[in-house]
Amino acid sequence: MARLNDDAQWIILMGFLISFSFFFLAIIINQSTVVGQTTAESVIEFPKNDIRDLRGIIEQSANMPYPDNATVNKDITVLSMNRKNAIVKYSVFPPNLPSNPHTTASIHYNNGVTTFYENWTSL
Amino acid sequence: MAAVGTMRVNDNGVSEAIGFMLIFGMIIVGIGLVTLYGYPLLLQQQVGADEKIMEKNMIVLQNDVKSLAYKTIPFKETSLKIGGGALTVYNSSISPSTLTIRNGTGFDYVNSFTSGELRYESVSSQTDISLQDGAVVLRRHAEPGSTMLAEPRWFYDDQTNTMVINLINMTSTNLIAKEGIGTVQMRLVGEPEYSSYQEPASTFLYLDYTPGTVQDYSVAWNNYFTKTLNMNPPTIAGSTRTYQLPTDTSRPVTLVIKKFNVEIKSI
Repeated sequence: MARLNDDAQWIILMGFLISFSFFFLAIIINQSTVVGQTTAESVIEFPKNDIRDLRGIIEQSANMPYPDNATVNKDITVLSMNRKNAIVKYSVFPPNLPSNPHTTASIHYNNGVTTFYENWTSL
Repeated sequence: MAAVGTMRVNDNGVSEAIGFMLIFGMIIVGIGLVTLYGYPLLLQQQVGADEKIMEKNMIVLQNDVKSLAYKTIPFKETSLKIGGGALTVYNSSISPSTLTIRNGTGFDYVNSFTSGELRYESVSSQTDISLQDGAVVLRRHAEPGSTMLAEPRWFYDDQTNTMVINLINMTSTNLIAKEGIGTVQMRLVGEPEYSSYQEPASTFLYLDYTPGTVQDYSVAWNNYFTKTLNMNPPTIAGSTRTYQLPTDTSRPVTLVIKKFNVEIKSI
């Protein structure tokens, strides 16, 4: 009998391995577009700057006298809803001397995707 | 050749012609099998891929609409490939489903709102994917159900007892449809209509949803209303489904309705 020459079997084996790995790679690449899409979306959706702006304004207007503070409060609520599509409700509490010398505020923010709640205390 | 001499080869029965025919036959059978089973499978995969790509595209378009509506971006355009079917803009005047938002005493906040839609109709897989009212919904022609791929942004805020309903009105100057590679351009027309209603306690707010007779996405919307927004199952009269909005009726309620007009400039 002529000896079977099986020196090149590894080539066929490699061929199989490579084609299978391509198959799995294709599946992974296919999935990655979906993942990237949703990740990018959630990054865009997160209203970090909106919340920062809101906090900034509330801190700035915290020590305003009445009725200016009430007007600002009303304006912020309406503008947030109208422009940013977010429900904002906050109330500022003046220092309660002598037990609490800080101005405090409770801030509530909800834009349907992110809900934010904070009890702010002046420094 | 003494070394080979021990092995005798008898090749009297070997025919080159028969060997060729055997190998050729195997190749032909192989090609036949691939054509018979492999090719339809491949086509099916292609149709499936087209549909998946369009699902993704519709969600991208929904994000565009979101950017226009909630991020005050005036103009958006997206290039996409529409495979296996056509993408068509249906004006709000041709839109099949209607929404009415009213209170218990018969006052209509919104009367028979029609959203218009951007609809992908797949010829090969018999599926419709529609971007309507800020949601992406899918429906197969052969089956009665439908499903929501991406939800609109309606929400209820528990703390302030506020219900926010965003209505998106798709308009276009004429009926536009596209196959193949296209660029969807959309812009926000005018100021969004913003209305906020403060109602006293024990005000019941209702939503009437009437699906289209052919384009019936009621299952998708029903799931959204009952599962995501936690509304009670609807009362059904004819084809109209009436839901009670999930507000707390023991407290004063605020209802915010925003209507955005999005114009599809071209596809």
